[in-house]
Amino acid sequence: MAVATLLVTHFWAMVLFAVLVSLALTALTRRTPLERVKYALWSILLFLLIGIGVAWLMYPFSH
Amino acid sequence: MNETPEEKFPSNPVQAPEPESAAGRSRKTSSGPMLIALSAWLVPGLGHLLLRRTARGIVFLIAVAGLAILGYKMRGNVFPPHSTDPFGTLGFLADAASGIFYPLARVFERAGPDVARAAGDYGTRFIAAAGIVNLVSVFDAYEIAIGRRV
Repeated sequence: MAVATLLVTHFWAMVLFAVLVSLALTALTRRTPLERVKYALWSILLFLLIGIGVAWLMYPFSH
Repeated sequence: MNETPEEKFPSNPVQAPEPESAAGRSRKTSSGPMLIALSAWLVPGLGHLLLRRTARGIVFLIAVAGLAILGYKMRGNVFPPHSTDPFGTLGFLADAASGIFYPLARVFERAGPDVARAAGDYGTRFIAAAGIVNLVSVFDAYEIAIGRRV
């Protein structure tokens, strides 16, 4: 019997993780709607930028 | 008329009465802080809903449920309660922190984990992150209940 497995690329796994964790952090730390939107976008962006940055830093060790 | 300047302008504004302060609002709830924390752990977001922080409760529910269910669908590893090594125990504590979603692993991940693929490895982290996010939510709900946070 075939087993359904959600197969995501490395990038989309990172995006999903960034969005969901940023949502929780935003709810925890910000109170007004405008602050929440700004913080969530900033948090998602930083998750992605730092993730891609660390990936590039590790790139030489993969060869 | 005979008010002193100190009475007109209290030197310590923190002690000024605030009828709608966090402590004031939390006192309106009948449930105790420990009960709030327990319900927040058991069902992510429920503690906030009981404290009438509906939006925050729903966001925590979406975040924890999203991380846990995606982790299970990626076939991440779910750590059992009785582990032989410390990392397994830590993994179990992180997973079990997601409350009702820990036993639901049997429903969403019938085929068991598959960490031979990258998706399964990511899934393990998603499931652990769901527990950690829920733990943060439990502490937040508890602090609101005791009046330390708004």
